[in-house]
Amino acid sequence: MLAIKTLGAAVPSTALSVIKKGAFAPIVDQVRQTHLPAPKPNEKRLYSPFQDASNMAEYAVARLDDLLNWGRKGSMWPMTFGLACCAVEMMHFAAPRYDMDRYGVVFRASPRQSDVMIVAGTLTNKMAPALRKVYDQMPDPRWVISMGSCANGGGYYHYSYSVVRGCDRIVPVDIYVPGCPPTAEALLYGVLQLQKKVKRMKTIQIWYRK
Amino acid sequence: MSLGKYLALDKLANLFNILKQNGGIRGTLYKLYRQEEAKDGVLVGEDKFGNKYYENPRYFYGRSRWVEYNEKFHLNYDASQVTSEWYGWLHYKTDLPPHQDPSRPKYKWMIDGNENLSGTTGQYTPYSTTRPKVEAWMPKKAE
Repeated sequence: MLAIKTLGAAVPSTALSVIKKGAFAPIVDQVRQTHLPAPKPNEKRLYSPFQDASNMAEYAVARLDDLLNWGRKGSMWPMTFGLACCAVEMMHFAAPRYDMDRYGVVFRASPRQSDVMIVAGTLTNKMAPALRKVYDQMPDPRWVISMGSCANGGGYYHYSYSVVRGCDRIVPVDIYVPGCPPTAEALLYGVLQLQKKVKRMKTIQIWYRK
Repeated sequence: MSLGKYLALDKLANLFNILKQNGGIRGTLYKLYRQEEAKDGVLVGEDKFGNKYYENPRYFYGRSRWVEYNEKFHLNYDASQVTSEWYGWLHYKTDLPPHQDPSRPKYKWMIDGNENLSGTTGQYTPYSTTRPKVEAWMPKKAE
């Protein structure tokens, strides 16, 4: 509800926003309703994104969601899917300088025990069934980070006969990390963005609404 | 080498300095909770979001400049809240902080930077302004 209110408050001033509101309104609205309202510049930001509980029960499930999300975002184990040179940057992310372990991100070689899949590199047609199979083997909730321009949209090999034009044609992607290859720092930022996304998950609240 | 250094008393002095600068034991614990590190340093400047930039060459190169985000962000700070003016200084591209550097370009077309709003209603949403290359065929219903 809050999102819709803020949307109403923001009156389009430029021509671009008119285009945004016109032909592409359904997509934009859909996105905006699942997202949080934009932060106000001078407001203190509280830990939890769920601040609009109207009664005790809603408050309780919101706090339970906070706890669940805290646990989930603090121990995201990526399934390594190193396909090309991006995998080298992924290794740098694991190495002491960027040290992913401090965020609870630990590589796990088994898809059945991992939460995140980092698709690092060019996804070829030949590899695509294997990628989908590994994704299907992962338990819910699962997330996908698409790393590098090849995984995002084919990148350099976009016009190749043997390359999938973006791994989002095979699996649903949460975070796209741009770059060719992205730096380890960029991947780190991507993981932090995914943590933010996980923090907004409403698992128990949706169960309660039902 | 003085006797104090020989007995590693300067390390103790550093510890007390860190405790003092971060606001006592409680303040230091809060800093450790919030940013997992408590350091002592010289305040170099502050940006438009109220983030504070510190420097202490005692720390190793790469860790000797750091940012402490504004209190209002609490745990929701993000690297994109470092403004573009301070980015270069923080990443050792330049040694001059923005308020001491006279040679920075300033044009009226330069827009004010903002933090990454992805995941909020303020986020950037890509859209196309051209006609789609593929137009789906909509067959007419037989009547």
